[in-house]
Amino acid sequence: MSLKNILENWSHYRRGHEDGGHHDYEHMWGMAIDLNKCTGCNACSVACYAENNLPTVGKDRMRKGQGLHWLRMERYWDEPEMGGDEKEYQERGGSFLPMMCQHCNAATCEPVCPVAATYHTPDGLNAQVYNRCIGSRYCSNNCPYRLRYFNFYSYYEESWPEPLNMQLNPDLSVRDKGVMEKCTFCIQRIRTGKDTAQREGREVKDGDVVTACAQTCPTEAIVFGDLLDKDAQVTKLWKAQEVELGKTKQEKSNGELRGYRVLEGLNTDPCVMYMDRVREA
Amino acid sequence: MSGSDINRRDFLKFMGLGGVGAATLSGCDMPTTVTLEEGKEKVVAYLAPEEYAIPGIGVTFASTCQQCPSGCGVHGRVREGRVLKLEGNPEALNGKGLCQMGQASLQGHYNPDRITQPMARKGGALEPVSWEEAWKLMQEKASGAAKGRSAWFTGTVSGHQSVLLAALNKAWGSKDHYVYEAINNAVGEAVNESVLGDAAPAYRFDRAKAILSFGADFLGTWVSPVHFSREYASKFRSGDRGVLIQVEPKMTLTGGNADLWVAARPGTEGVVALGIANVLLSKNQVDGKGLPQAALDMISQYSVDKVTEISGVAGDTLVRIAKYLKERSPSLVLSGESAHGHANGYQNAMAAMMLNVLLGNVGKTIEASNSMVFGELKAKTGDSKAMLDFASAADAGKYDVVFFMGANPVYTAPAHLGMAEKIAKVPFKVALSMFPDETTMSADLVLPLSSPYEEWATTVSPYQPKEAAVSMSQPLMKPLSAETKSLGDILLSMLKYQGVKGYEGFDDYYAYLRSELSAMPASVKGGKGNDAFWSAAVQKGFIKAPTKSGSLKVSLGDVKQSGYQAGGDYPMHLVPSSNQAMYDGRNANLPWLQEAPDQITKIFWDSWVEIHPKTASKLGVKEGDFVRVESDQGAVEAQVYIYKGVHVDAVAVPMGRGHEEYGRYAKGNGVNPLKILSPAVDEMSGELATHATRVRISKTGRSDELPRLGGSEVQVGRRLVSTVSADVFKRTEGA
Amino acid sequence: MQTKDINENIAWAKINEDVLRSMENPRKGYWIAVAACIAMVMCAVLAEIYQYQVGMGPSNLNWPHMWDLYIATFVFWIGMSHSGTLLSAILHIIQADWRKPIYRFAEAMTTFSLMTAGLFPIIHLGRVWNMYWVLPYVSDRGIWPNFRSPLIWDAFAITTYLTSSALFLFIGMIPDLAICRDNARGWRQKLYTVLSLGWQGDDRQWRNFRKIYLLMACFLIPLAVSVHSIVSADFAMSIMPGWHITSFPPYFVAGALYSGCAAIITLFIILRYFFRFDEYMTIPILEKTCKLTFAIAMVWSYLTLIEFASVWYGHDMVAKESLLSRFYGPYAPFFWLMLFCGIVAPFALAIEKFRRHLPTMFVVSLVLNLGMWLERWMIVTPTLATSYYPFAFDTMWPSMVQWAIVFGSFGWFGLLFLIFVKVFPSVSMYEVKEMVFHRRHYHSADLATKFHRRASDREEAGEPSTEGAKS
Repeated sequence: MSLKNILENWSHYRRGHEDGGHHDYEHMWGMAIDLNKCTGCNACSVACYAENNLPTVGKDRMRKGQGLHWLRMERYWDEPEMGGDEKEYQERGGSFLPMMCQHCNAATCEPVCPVAATYHTPDGLNAQVYNRCIGSRYCSNNCPYRLRYFNFYSYYEESWPEPLNMQLNPDLSVRDKGVMEKCTFCIQRIRTGKDTAQREGREVKDGDVVTACAQTCPTEAIVFGDLLDKDAQVTKLWKAQEVELGKTKQEKSNGELRGYRVLEGLNTDPCVMYMDRVREA
Repeated sequence: MSGSDINRRDFLKFMGLGGVGAATLSGCDMPTTVTLEEGKEKVVAYLAPEEYAIPGIGVTFASTCQQCPSGCGVHGRVREGRVLKLEGNPEALNGKGLCQMGQASLQGHYNPDRITQPMARKGGALEPVSWEEAWKLMQEKASGAAKGRSAWFTGTVSGHQSVLLAALNKAWGSKDHYVYEAINNAVGEAVNESVLGDAAPAYRFDRAKAILSFGADFLGTWVSPVHFSREYASKFRSGDRGVLIQVEPKMTLTGGNADLWVAARPGTEGVVALGIANVLLSKNQVDGKGLPQAALDMISQYSVDKVTEISGVAGDTLVRIAKYLKERSPSLVLSGESAHGHANGYQNAMAAMMLNVLLGNVGKTIEASNSMVFGELKAKTGDSKAMLDFASAADAGKYDVVFFMGANPVYTAPAHLGMAEKIAKVPFKVALSMFPDETTMSADLVLPLSSPYEEWATTVSPYQPKEAAVSMSQPLMKPLSAETKSLGDILLSMLKYQGVKGYEGFDDYYAYLRSELSAMPASVKGGKGNDAFWSAAVQKGFIKAPTKSGSLKVSLGDVKQSGYQAGGDYPMHLVPSSNQAMYDGRNANLPWLQEAPDQITKIFWDSWVEIHPKTASKLGVKEGDFVRVESDQGAVEAQVYIYKGVHVDAVAVPMGRGHEEYGRYAKGNGVNPLKILSPAVDEMSGELATHATRVRISKTGRSDELPRLGGSEVQVGRRLVSTVSADVFKRTEGA
Repeated sequence: MQTKDINENIAWAKINEDVLRSMENPRKGYWIAVAACIAMVMCAVLAEIYQYQVGMGPSNLNWPHMWDLYIATFVFWIGMSHSGTLLSAILHIIQADWRKPIYRFAEAMTTFSLMTAGLFPIIHLGRVWNMYWVLPYVSDRGIWPNFRSPLIWDAFAITTYLTSSALFLFIGMIPDLAICRDNARGWRQKLYTVLSLGWQGDDRQWRNFRKIYLLMACFLIPLAVSVHSIVSADFAMSIMPGWHITSFPPYFVAGALYSGCAAIITLFIILRYFFRFDEYMTIPILEKTCKLTFAIAMVWSYLTLIEFASVWYGHDMVAKESLLSRFYGPYAPFFWLMLFCGIVAPFALAIEKFRRHLPTMFVVSLVLNLGMWLERWMIVTPTLATSYYPFAFDTMWPSMVQWAIVFGSFGWFGLLFLIFVKVFPSVSMYEVKEMVFHRRHYHSADLATKFHRRASDREEAGEPSTEGAKS
């Protein structure tokens, strides 16, 4: 990083994502999750376990809160926008919310890692470098969504007794103790998709890369793709819902549109858009 | 056809360096997949892999998931000779997505507790033996069984395995093939058969504008959840969005997605249906001409007030439901296990069907199903009457030899049935099994089965209302243990040993399947040669089968309802709920599913007792306290979870845990509510009435932290997942 | 009646003798204290070995409580380190003489607190063996630490502060080490000869010494303020409710000074009792220390209350919830105890009768430090328990592993301090002499005329004593 470089590009670096700084990015991987279609079946969570070598930690450790569920299916018993919950029964069911790393463009976890083990890739991903992580856990404390998980133990022997270890995905590592981890938007699949496209001499197109959760969802509630690709399904959804990157408050021409981002008022600029749950009034 | 070598080289030419999707080329005349079986003499994993197996690049093969009876097609990603991940087969009828059970079935395949060798009981304990010894034992004890003195007790079977099993039974002169599933739709099927003439009609979720479900958890465990989920989300909930009303004693996954969730007193679902019909006829000007007079008379007896008194459902809720059903047309009324599992289960299902007839849904949202021409391959679906019948037969000493496969009655049977003792009366019990479950561990001879991803097989999904397919299973890798055999291979060996004509020419089940597929009609083969057809079938993962269209009649039965009984000493209703994570107990040995929090309560790795806040305050318990749930047959103790998704008079304990065997992840974990079920049976169908048990609950004084994922269950003012009304949705995104 | 801080008729030789005697071969009580400290340290060592091998799991840390007692105790020890700086540097610059007998052990306390604090950022890491990656060395991977991270600022600040404090302590000790050298035999003599750097006490050396000392004092003050501000930035720079508060830097510095002063009182009483330093660590000095502590306590209380108030009348709902959860959530008993120890207990320091009663002061000072430790814990944990994300709300209690390590850190500090008092003079001999001289020549009852009167003349005239008021 030369001095000349910094001086020339200072205003650009300073503004970063706010001025659409991400237009320099090759890709901006993002997701659109339709909570009208999501039934809360939890297949996405189990698929994530299968794809990403997540250890099962057992009852005691899971109860203590030491589980590693990169994608968790949350369920709430209230409907903040529709109110009225002083009834005898839970009349409108549960509010399901699949939550995974939002890959925020202004990630609060990135500046605070002492060894720069988490950073923003040119793909728009928030990457976690396992072998650089020294386990200070500051990043997890600073994540407002609490989406970062820590390897409190070394799980290799316990979680994968033979021959379960044969199921492990060799495209990514099995993390040892002391290392933070989180959803990576299946970066191993992104790399494979990009390599395949490069080998075939073409650009990555929509559908080349699909995350494990999006692939297994029986209702196709999760849509994954490149937000910089105008033709991608996810981009069209974001556009239809009038949700844009780089804003803390969306200005929509139609205030009734369902798209929103969780806790976006904190200026994290997440790459995951959710579409409101729908119920009869 | 030219030799395999040339095919492989040409294949490589087509694919360049290989890459993903090698097995998804379709429509080519050339066999573009080389299966492990063909090259099996030459396959040596890792050191000298097949030419198509390039280290670092995964190849996808199609197969079929067997974790539940739905039989969804899967794609298995294989790298370096091992299957690593399953996805849904996008082209299969039940495809594209794959539920959590399907994803976790891979852990069944790689399970550390799998049985890897035949076992025989010597001096009280099961000891590992060789296959020779196993066959010898079979020879001695089984193959000489007298006519009618043998039986098979299995779960759902379909495809060519079903054909072989039927042939074997015939060779032994036995008519007894008990097909048992703890989670079944037998009562519903009986009503469908009686009213419509079709046990499994087609449900048109894509046409329905309102769904009223009496406990049918079609998104979770009812009939074919992955299939229904797709239709539900892409059609029912899109565009001109339909309304979902769920009436059940404990919130299922479908109930969690309902627009209106109604808790009716368990067993009174039929009465609720009559009440709704009453409102429809009296207030909503629905024309009752579709119903027989007897039904109309019965309906008129159930005024709203009477229904409220019996079922606890408020009058305006009934009016509201009737309004939805009238205004959002066509509607669809379903019923499931919580309505069926009573002594009057058939009546409840009949009342639900009556609503369909009244609303004119038959022909609109309920259509005749097409049936596959390959009738012998169709799935034999299970029910619980099979288990009851088997128990009496075994008790009466009817059998000398019984074969168990794909079912675990020792675990799922209620204690009052004395299943373990009755099975023990059978002199020779053979279990064909992958895992040391309770039934397997009580057998005299255990034959280790290969997993669905190590074997050749065909499967037919029980629910194929319009198009039909025969789903293929192929080995996704070499068997983990050389001693395991597929069901097809075992059946074929037994048939050959019995000298049954027509099977002697086949070396193994693979050869048999190839021959069977070659023998399919030319229309099915699509003009391909035998080898090409086989390769296409295996590559695609299924064979499209021709169907015969069906038709529906409508003849509604008697809709009378028996009275509601108060409980006396045992005032509460036990709801032994089925949840997708554990299902009927078969998933308890899969750590991913044990750790996957329950869809509604978010509890993992242990059982729990769901009660309503009113019950909790009456009892003086808080979350995590251990309570004792006691019926007249026994008691279980588990921690309490309190929420408003369970009826005030109901106590819901999930089934699926409380195993006494079944490996390290299942053993000693949780409680099994099925054990304390009372001996109640649905009068009309003879099915076990699983929801008819009355219990009382009491404090034990013990308490512990509940193993539940998640801190707050409310959003505390943050906008994490908010809700918009359906009107807004239709305005902005409606068709 | 006026009290004086020190009796002016103490002979130089007596000062030397008293202090040097404190460094002589220890009695049984000392060895028992050392053994106890070593036992405490061994608890921590065993716990840490277990944690190092197995992972962070046994500490009960979980999602979302990724930080707990380790960080709280770390901040506590950093806070305690401000004692020396306050006494040595700040009071030196404002020429408060009464600091002279007590600043030596206070500075030692600073250095040892920092040495203890510095262990915790290492212990709390998941991969302790890679901790050196936080240092900016030229690695062959071409990667540097992340300079935007407050933890890196911590690394720089603490190492700088530790180095500076140690240096300051050492330099300040040189004249005393020379005295020790002149009075020692055997290994001690060799040690002090090396350490006293050839000090002869001539004019030029003294002048240079004064200059360096003053310069270092001036340097150390902003350093100390910045160190604890940087440590507070660990919290203030995050976005978590209850942490993201702009008043944290001054708040933490105030808390540090508070904690340091309270610790000074504790050690004051201990040293005075065991080494019979009654002449030097006098009651008036103790009283002044107590008054200073009280003043700082009031500053801290004010900052605490405005922190609560600004959240309470603010618009940030989440921050408000986070604050209220401290008042009536699961950690409430500790929070209320902390408020009592931090706001109510210091009023004992305002009451003269209590101030003079050494056992009461000992207990009160421990209570104040308990309050300060609890304050750190109550900053770290309740925020993590309830923050932005309701699904992640959780109550967590630390396990025995954490308690053992925290407990052991006190033992480690005690051990270092015990070694210090036997190897180095815990009272600054030359400064006490200066103080006595100053009293003789500038603070006697009649400044103008009795300038060089002898001590014995003064006593008859009812001169002030070091025993305090007699009414």
